[in-house]
Amino acid sequence: MLESKFESPLAHRQSAAETYVDIREVSERGMIDLRGQPGDKKFMAAVKDILAVDLPKAPRTSATWGDIRVLWLSTDQWLVTCPRHRAEALTQELTAALQGIHSLAVNVSDMRAVIRLEGERAREVVMKGSTLDLFDGSYVPGTVRRMRFAEIAALLSILEDAVIEIYVFRSYADYAWEFLIKAARKGSEVALLAPEAKGAA
Amino acid sequence: MSGKPYRLPAGGSCIDRAKSISFSFDGKSLQGFAGDTVASAVLASGQRLFGRSFKYHRPRGVVGLGSEEMNALVGVGVGARHEPNLRATQVELYNGLAAVSQNRWPSLSFDIGSVNNKLSRFFPGGFYYKTFMWPKSFWKHVYEPFIRRAAGLGKAPEERDPDSYEHMHIHADVLIVGGGIAGLTAAEAAAASGVKVLLVDENPVLGGIADLSAGKIGDTTPAAYAASAEARLRGLSNVHILTRTTVVGHFHHNYLMAFERVGDHDPALLAAGAPRHRLWKIRAGQVILASGALERPLAFANNDRPGIMLASAVRALVERYGVAPGKNGVVFTNNDDAYLTALVLKQAGVGVRVADSRARPDGALVQQARAAGIEVNAASVISAVEGSHGVKAVKIAAYRKGQGRVITETRVDCDFVAMSGGWNPALHLWCHNGGKIKFDDAIASFRPNTHGDAIAAIGAANGTMNLAETMNEAVAAGEAAARAVNGKAKASKIKLPAIDEPQRGALEPLWFAPATGGYNEGNKHFIDFQNDVTAADLELAQREGYESVEHTKRYTTFGMATDQGKTSNINGLGVLSEATGKSIPEIGITTYRPPYTPYSFGSIAGALTGKLFLPVRRTPIFQWHTERGAVFEPVGQWRRAYTYPGAGEDKHAAINREILGVRNKVGLLDASTLGKIEIKGPDAAEFLDRMYTNTFSTLKVGKCRYGLMMNELGFLTDDGVTVRLADDHYLMHTTSGGADRISAWLEEWLQTEWTHYKVFVTPVTEQWAQFAIAGPRAREVLQKLESDFDVSNEGFPHMSFKTGRLGAYPVRIFRISFSGEQSYEVATPANLGRGLWDAILDAGREYGIEPYGTEALHVLRAEKGYIVIGDETDGTVTPFDVGLDGLVSKKKADFIGKRSLEQSYLKGPNRKQLVGLLTEDPQEVLPDGAYAVREVKDKPPMEMIGQVTSTYMSPTLGRSIAMALIENGKARMGEVISFPLEGGKVVKAKITDTVFYDKDGGRISA
Repeated sequence: MLESKFESPLAHRQSAAETYVDIREVSERGMIDLRGQPGDKKFMAAVKDILAVDLPKAPRTSATWGDIRVLWLSTDQWLVTCPRHRAEALTQELTAALQGIHSLAVNVSDMRAVIRLEGERAREVVMKGSTLDLFDGSYVPGTVRRMRFAEIAALLSILEDAVIEIYVFRSYADYAWEFLIKAARKGSEVALLAPEAKGAA
Repeated sequence: MSGKPYRLPAGGSCIDRAKSISFSFDGKSLQGFAGDTVASAVLASGQRLFGRSFKYHRPRGVVGLGSEEMNALVGVGVGARHEPNLRATQVELYNGLAAVSQNRWPSLSFDIGSVNNKLSRFFPGGFYYKTFMWPKSFWKHVYEPFIRRAAGLGKAPEERDPDSYEHMHIHADVLIVGGGIAGLTAAEAAAASGVKVLLVDENPVLGGIADLSAGKIGDTTPAAYAASAEARLRGLSNVHILTRTTVVGHFHHNYLMAFERVGDHDPALLAAGAPRHRLWKIRAGQVILASGALERPLAFANNDRPGIMLASAVRALVERYGVAPGKNGVVFTNNDDAYLTALVLKQAGVGVRVADSRARPDGALVQQARAAGIEVNAASVISAVEGSHGVKAVKIAAYRKGQGRVITETRVDCDFVAMSGGWNPALHLWCHNGGKIKFDDAIASFRPNTHGDAIAAIGAANGTMNLAETMNEAVAAGEAAARAVNGKAKASKIKLPAIDEPQRGALEPLWFAPATGGYNEGNKHFIDFQNDVTAADLELAQREGYESVEHTKRYTTFGMATDQGKTSNINGLGVLSEATGKSIPEIGITTYRPPYTPYSFGSIAGALTGKLFLPVRRTPIFQWHTERGAVFEPVGQWRRAYTYPGAGEDKHAAINREILGVRNKVGLLDASTLGKIEIKGPDAAEFLDRMYTNTFSTLKVGKCRYGLMMNELGFLTDDGVTVRLADDHYLMHTTSGGADRISAWLEEWLQTEWTHYKVFVTPVTEQWAQFAIAGPRAREVLQKLESDFDVSNEGFPHMSFKTGRLGAYPVRIFRISFSGEQSYEVATPANLGRGLWDAILDAGREYGIEPYGTEALHVLRAEKGYIVIGDETDGTVTPFDVGLDGLVSKKKADFIGKRSLEQSYLKGPNRKQLVGLLTEDPQEVLPDGAYAVREVKDKPPMEMIGQVTSTYMSPTLGRSIAMALIENGKARMGEVISFPLEGGKVVKAKITDTVFYDKDGGRISA
């Protein structure tokens, strides 16, 4: 029997050392690109039936239930994340449940690389490559948004105050990794940028 | 030139006398203290000479205090780490620092270029324009190389920069530029309301020139007050302080750029991983400009001699570094401030006297100076300076305003001069983005007026030259900025201490001090020291008709050097004012442009160098390609394997081997870069019918169809194979380079034109690794891969599609061909791609499977006459032009580009049409893009009738083949046309159809 061999986008990279923020690849993530009309009650209900979570309608938000987390991507597009081994079955369940409802669910678990940053200065590292103001108080855990990062497109997902995930297209994974380990190199901390500083109310 | 060390026995607030530092200047070992700058340490050693001037190569020394320094530019560091043109007054000393002087040859004290000074009669203002005009060819071959070698400032390093750089983005509610008393006070006022404050200062320590100021704030000195304010600010979490950081530019909407010198002052930081420089990109809600003021030099004869410094710089030398500028000096001033310098010198035991151009100076500081026993010559100017590499003596002459020549003068022995012409508010940032300014007679300078952005200037930057007003302005500006950010911000409740400062007498402008002897006869009154522009040059420019100040600037180069006229600007305007009889506001001011001070290219590039210079996209097989020794070619941002040369094999041989491998056995291609888009919805079929020229609503589920896409103009923009996965569900393939463009194109039509369509478009390019298995033995390879579906020719015919498994690999598999051979494109999820690739190679080994690259792919398709968008098309080519009439539906009601194809010039005669070409000499390969002409002539112009679009040596056919777009090509079958090449060579080729190989297409469905 021909066994399949799995190789994550950053399998060729050694784990990041000498960085002041913990950086690692998340390869066990499953991802489903889901399209549908948020105004279509049947669609929303069918999805909730399968995922047990309401699709977030507000821009830049996410919703979580158990091991499923849904990221808002645009007014009619979500990224459903789940454990990788569940992605294909979940896609099929969604497709079956959405039969006859205008929608599209595609298993895109291999389309992106996910890089997780963890540490008190994770936001600072992202801001070396992005114009976003991650200290302005609106980037609370659960926030999701697309951004230009260094010179590529990326998806930013804030899990906790000091835990951030960056999604990039698979082909750019090596570039994003290279940028991150350079930006987070020990000794390059931006010492004066106090993470606790919040903007005006 | 060196002399007795000038370090004073005590004093120096910036230096730590317990920490000795060794460094070198022009190879000579010197000692300084921690906290010294190169300027202070070299001056302490007794050396005055720092460099040679730009044009005349005159000896020059330190003039300024910090970033305004225009003369003492040094190169720092060796080899790859050398950085030229740094201001010695800003370079902090560290152990092992190696600095060199610039613009001298062969040595600093003996410089051949200084002959320019003797010949200065021939180097007047505008000399470039006058001297080097004729003969024309001399400019390139004689004048320019000479000037470039003789002039120019520092030398750029030639090796790669070993240090790292980075960018940082930050958003601040309130940005305060400058950390002097004004900036610190404004920061406290703003920060009290809780808004986010960023305070940026270019110096290593905050305080500005508080330490060089007189008076008391409460019961402390200005310096002590600044230190306490800094301590309070550092305790606040909503305040960020950046030192050694220069705000270099102010742009639209309060976007500012700041240049931080992170590691320049300490190699240990660099070794520990710090970036050398960091470029800050700042978005500020409100900007408070507290950038202070720059002292003006005075224009007197030979005012550029080493040892002639700004009064504030002399004061700093003594107070901050404990260095005496000399033994005996003259303070030359037109204002009260310089008397502080005289008092400081006196207290340090340095001999000093004052020459004041004002008739009756009598401010508090003047009285203090007199009381301290300092001789003050009122109504006096310096009319001459003796000495060339230093000052030996000056002549002090009686002066009254408007007087043109010196009548009586006294020779005074001295070895330095401290000059002060007043202070110019540092308006640069105010003006970068269109701030308006107004002239203020009280300071004889411009000060900020109005601005379109949310920016306020305070303190000296606002022309406010006393402490009490400065601090009031600062509190008001800080509170106003906080309120502008947060309407509910409360007053800061800052109680300003009582301020006691000496009463100042008025300044009287002095733009030109008359000289001993004839004007400009060996007496240069320098205005722009860095570009060697004198008062006489400016006057000459006026006489020659360069009346506009912008013309004067370009003609004389006044204000154009790396210091951007920091010290010269207002003085130049003063000279022009006197020369023309117009007031300074009437003359106007030249444009202030970023950067405030030069910043490094490294900081501009930031981290985006080396591997990060350009994002490179990698397929899941990239690593294998690299290990296999592939030559790569860029396709958009992708790197695709072009060919895989074996050991000792050249590229051509490798490509031929790969092509023949596909034709005779089987080949394997990494086609993962192909664009893939899922399209689903009840209107998907109709939508595709509109996007493509041909019909997709009739395509059966499980079948593939090649489609052509045009833009609205009727020109081809993309092509590819689309599969019908289900009634309402398609999978579209695009060209590799077109993937993003086409998915955006589809979205645009759905979102802006056909909003009633129920169609979702989801790009999935990167989800799949996709490989072509092509060649007569392809099926046999597939059979070995444990497929769970029928792979027989009948069960899986050409242009059909299946999903299933190859062993444990889930696959989508397409029987499609771009090579003309039996061919399968297999797609598997990208993370399984490498595994499947290896499995296919294993399975194919016994059939002699050849991995092939993009060049073989291109030859294979050209042998079959298949077009490539971008080769056979150039944005002006229709489907008819390339002979694909059959793919343009005649039945569909509408599709993009249909109407345009009806236009007369797209339907009309004489269009260029795609044809095949066979050269008369079968071994002759036409160059890509070669033009065919109607008639060959001896020399151009010749009438062109078309051009080669693809051209290759075909190993399959053993001869060259080409395709070309030729006028009326279809009607010219069999005709021989000519391609004149470089060097008079003419290649002749016969026009044929475009299919060179397997014309009946039997192999593809075998």
